[in-house]
Amino acid sequence: MISNLLSARQNLPPPLTGEGGGGGQGYYDYPVVRRPVWTWEVPTYFWLGGMAAGAYVTASLAQNFGSADDRRAAAGGYYVAAAALMPCAPLLIADLGRPDRFHHMLRIFKPLSPMNLGAWTLTAFTPVAFARGASHAASTGLLRGPLVALARLVPNRLAELAGSVLGLTLAGYSGVLLAATNIPLWAKSKLLGGLFMASALSSGSAAVTLQAARRGVPDATLHRLATLESAASLGEMALVTGYLVQSGKTARPLTTGRFAAPFWLGAVGAGTLLPLVLHLFARRRNGRGLRSLSTAAAVCSVAGSLALRWTIFEAGKDSSRDQEASFDLSGTSDSAG
Amino acid sequence: MIDTYKRLMNLEEPPPAKKAKGFFTDTSLCIGCKACEVACKQWNQLPADGFAITGNSYDNTGHLGATTWRHVQFIEQAKANGTRQEQRWLMMSDVCKHCANAACLEACPTGALIRTEYDTVYVQQDICNGCGFCVPACPFGVIDRAPKHGQFEAGTAHKCTLCYDRLKDDMTPACAKSCPTASIQFGDVDELRARARQRLGELRERGESKARLYGMPEGKEAVEVGPLHAFFLLLDEPKAYNLPEVPRLPRKTMAQRYGWSAAVGVGFALIGALVFGGRR
Repeated sequence: MISNLLSARQNLPPPLTGEGGGGGQGYYDYPVVRRPVWTWEVPTYFWLGGMAAGAYVTASLAQNFGSADDRRAAAGGYYVAAAALMPCAPLLIADLGRPDRFHHMLRIFKPLSPMNLGAWTLTAFTPVAFARGASHAASTGLLRGPLVALARLVPNRLAELAGSVLGLTLAGYSGVLLAATNIPLWAKSKLLGGLFMASALSSGSAAVTLQAARRGVPDATLHRLATLESAASLGEMALVTGYLVQSGKTARPLTTGRFAAPFWLGAVGAGTLLPLVLHLFARRRNGRGLRSLSTAAAVCSVAGSLALRWTIFEAGKDSSRDQEASFDLSGTSDSAG
Repeated sequence: MIDTYKRLMNLEEPPPAKKAKGFFTDTSLCIGCKACEVACKQWNQLPADGFAITGNSYDNTGHLGATTWRHVQFIEQAKANGTRQEQRWLMMSDVCKHCANAACLEACPTGALIRTEYDTVYVQQDICNGCGFCVPACPFGVIDRAPKHGQFEAGTAHKCTLCYDRLKDDMTPACAKSCPTASIQFGDVDELRARARQRLGELRERGESKARLYGMPEGKEAVEVGPLHAFFLLLDEPKAYNLPEVPRLPRKTMAQRYGWSAAVGVGFALIGALVFGGRR
């Protein structure tokens, strides 16, 4: 009984502190919007789902446009995609208030809701990625037994095309989902969808490099993968800059305070800057030096991608308490500009 | 074919449309008695939120939420050395606005959030799977998800139903029924709007220069979310009541955001084709 009362107290906004009611702006310092109820499962899913999609698209690009070496090296991306997709649906289901009703997501088709679009895309992409992975495993002899006959039936070209479209949708909707809310940090900028897409593609192509470098592939292939990764990292850097500029003061919960270090050092530093520098050093190297540098860059990129999703997600929860940013978002702030 | 589908899926015909129902909350009449909060809790069997002192006037409720569907605000406007007219104590009973273009309804991926025959927005408790997307989508911070392991309808989204069950029996919603000053008025939205315009005229005549209506079809606040079926007469700027001046509907900017996302994806695919290209 007593503990019930105490826990209820925690649901109230913090008491008014300091200067009275935020200078006569709003109602005390109470938030305008509700705090998102999502927990760690969501950014983890965004990270894994994005990486799976990026790896699948990279593998499919190499498959259709690359040399024989490229194709062999990148085909491991299908395994990466399948492995990264495995925890995705369980994570999303665990985050629901009523996990036993997860299938209600698919009782209607309503692409207007990014959440519904995402549920359908994940449902469609997962079997395609597994089928393409199984087909590759059958062709290399990794897959044995009665499933081989089934795996050989997979139309590879079709799976690559359909999977790439579905993968890009999966990588591209997550930032838009967060932006389709009224949380200032997520909704203010136009670029969050593009930023998450770039982060998914840079981490996905990095994951392909990671498995390729471990298996020892020709240097030329590693160089080409490095060029692709660098392009994605450059795009990510440009988008994160644009995102911060467009967000302006709204970005304070992300760029200052408790998320400042993981954001600047993890998401920006390790996620975009460091891989670019490492790839620059690796340009004229071959053999073991190239493999070490490529591996280091890829690890940074994958880790930075998680940092980006996690910091923007968590800082968004803090942003929901930012009354001034809420008024600014709905075009009323006296202090804007 | 469609009939067979409907029979198999056990689909019923939707009930015939009724006249749009709503609330006109006239804050100039509110005395802050909180009878609406109590009546709402009683009728809808919502659990107590605990006893806590916020230190902010007599508002110990704080905000709307999964188990609080009416919330009385106490806005103390006191100026040091101000005249008697400058000392104001504004009260306002906040509630779900039942927007014509509801952000929560558009966000809902399961179809749990529906528009009823009374043109109100309603959460079907047997459909909602607690995905939580409606919570940050609402520009007013109304709807919330009940705690996953709580005692009350755990894990699903909740907000004012405009007493859907009472409407079905031609009864007035509990809050409006209990309001002792007619600050909360219930009825057909058209009629309420006419009444609100008349009341605004009266107040303006009496010198309430800052009085205004919030949620009318012609208002700035209706640009994106549409007219509010629970609308207000305010005695100050919307911001003083924590109401956004132009509440945002996320759908309006979604295409642009998808566009940037798609551009990055297509750009990557083109660069990839170039990088690997010509080496087959």
